[in-house]
Amino acid sequence: MNPNSISTTRRADIPIFAALLLLFLSVPVWADPGLVFLAGVALVQIVFALSFNTIFGLAGMVSFGHAAYFASGAYAAGLMLKGSDPSLLQALAAGGLAGGAMACAIGTVALRRASGNYFAILTLALAELLHIVISKSTMLGREDGLTGIVRPRIDLFGLVTLDLTQGTTLFYLLLVLAALFGLGAWLMWHGSFGRVLAAIRQDPDRAAFLGINVHRVRLVAFSLSGMGAGLAGAMYAPLAQLLTPEVAHWSYSALPILFCLLGGTASYWGPVAGVLVFLGLEHATRNIVGLSEIVIGATLLFVVLAFPGGLAGGISRMARRRKSVVRQVATRNPAAMAASKEVDA
Amino acid sequence: MDQIALTLLNGLSWGMTVFLTAAGLSLVFGILHVLNFSHGGFLMIGAYLSYTIGARLQAGSLWQFLLIALACSVAVGLLGALVERFVFRRLKRVSESYSLIATYALLILCQGIVKVIWGIDFLSVPPPSELGGAVTMGDFIAPSFVLFVIACGLVVFAIMDMVLQRTEVGKRVQSVAIDPWMAGLVGINVNAVLSWTVVCGFALAGLAGALLSVNQSLSPSMGSALIIQAFGALIVGGLGNIRGAFVASVLLGLITSFGDRFVPDVPGLFFFVALAAILLIRPQGLMRGLR
Repeated sequence: MNPNSISTTRRADIPIFAALLLLFLSVPVWADPGLVFLAGVALVQIVFALSFNTIFGLAGMVSFGHAAYFASGAYAAGLMLKGSDPSLLQALAAGGLAGGAMACAIGTVALRRASGNYFAILTLALAELLHIVISKSTMLGREDGLTGIVRPRIDLFGLVTLDLTQGTTLFYLLLVLAALFGLGAWLMWHGSFGRVLAAIRQDPDRAAFLGINVHRVRLVAFSLSGMGAGLAGAMYAPLAQLLTPEVAHWSYSALPILFCLLGGTASYWGPVAGVLVFLGLEHATRNIVGLSEIVIGATLLFVVLAFPGGLAGGISRMARRRKSVVRQVATRNPAAMAASKEVDA
Repeated sequence: MDQIALTLLNGLSWGMTVFLTAAGLSLVFGILHVLNFSHGGFLMIGAYLSYTIGARLQAGSLWQFLLIALACSVAVGLLGALVERFVFRRLKRVSESYSLIATYALLILCQGIVKVIWGIDFLSVPPPSELGGAVTMGDFIAPSFVLFVIACGLVVFAIMDMVLQRTEVGKRVQSVAIDPWMAGLVGINVNAVLSWTVVCGFALAGLAGALLSVNQSLSPSMGSALIIQAFGALIVGGLGNIRGAFVASVLLGLITSFGDRFVPDVPGLFFFVALAAILLIRPQGLMRGLR
């Protein structure tokens, strides 16, 4: 597979987007509240993974500290939602801004100095610093976590009141946010900025020759990605209502990397597939201590060894192989060609 | 004065703990150019194995402890041979970030296996009777197990450095690390060197796990905590460079230990402060070009 190609076509994107929306919309109909909560977590992780993949799959930067931006957003939103009359909109804005500002600050120093493995470890070190500070800071609840996060009520122009203490209402709100985010990120990914990022991944020197300010573009992408991670954190705060320093730990930084690589980084939808498979496995094996890790570890290992390119890469490769088989048969047997056309139609 | 000496001792012991973890990691990185997350997992398995064997045999003396550590080293080395055969050998075809994630998958797998076999509670290995006490030097009292960890780090470093720099085997390994293609041309069996180096790296993980069970409590998160610090030391020291890893471990250990004296509320903070600062000042590590 050509790693530089962006594998989904725009025509395929609309049905995939619609199918995902329908799937999530239907969850409260057939699932118990526990599953609805899990689906909410999946939406949060999808936003996290998509924002990570803009710099990882698209721009080719390996950041190992995205938990820092997720945690900044989550704690900022959590603090905003602790007051007596909290506003969700302000909390979400604060979360996105906190994540973006943190990423901009870290990116400013890290991008200028390091690349590759060194960049990964530098972002990791800075994120671990934040983790330690959070777990020792009394205002943020130390190791015990930040408690007392309120799910607010929202007045929509005085017409409807959304009571987010209802799990289902909150879930639908998260779905709207995730869908809007997904749409925005898709437009960016396929727009001119996305193409500039892809060009930088393929060859930074040539991109610079074309007049692209590589450093600035990388920094902007990194900050935007941090903003997305912060938004994911801000969505997570009212959902979980409890934030522990776990969300800033380095293993939380590994999560979006796992989602992206499991699903496939070259495809826009790869990370979404990664989130769904990962959370599904985790949910199915949650009752036996240790089994969850064994199943997830073995699955990841299998995917990496069997489909280097993730699930999405594996699927598109299989599809291509099927097509080429059909073509080979068709050159020998025109009747098979006609039959395959009927099947495709 | 005693306080400073004690801080120094703690720093050295922290540094040697990190170095013992980083030693095998550095060896494997030098050859495969993959940061091997699973190193922490196999180190943890070594520590848990030594716990189980020690409890079975009711081992109490230092010699028994060391023999058990060697046995764990061999056992984890054998596991390493399996991992090399079935995982690492296939990773040559895939890109760097996928290799990284494959080793992370192995770390998760190790954590799961440890949870299934040994449970999620903290365990601790009773130290050998010789290490229970303390050594007094004038007014200064040094706990024996701290000195033991420092000694282990020094011995492992001395042996590794001697083997890599002074023996023919070591030179073969170095030549494969620098240029596998050229090494193959001059008649070195590159694949054999790769396999054996990985096995040795894993054996070092097992050894380190068993030895460090005197100053670490055993829990399923032990591996991931140590591996991150070892990555830091490796990066600061210059990847794949044993001497660099040793110097960086000691340096980071000392900075952390002295930093903790000034900010006692936030232990471990200075490790990451120092790591970030060093990488910002010298982005390619301290030892670049000194190899």
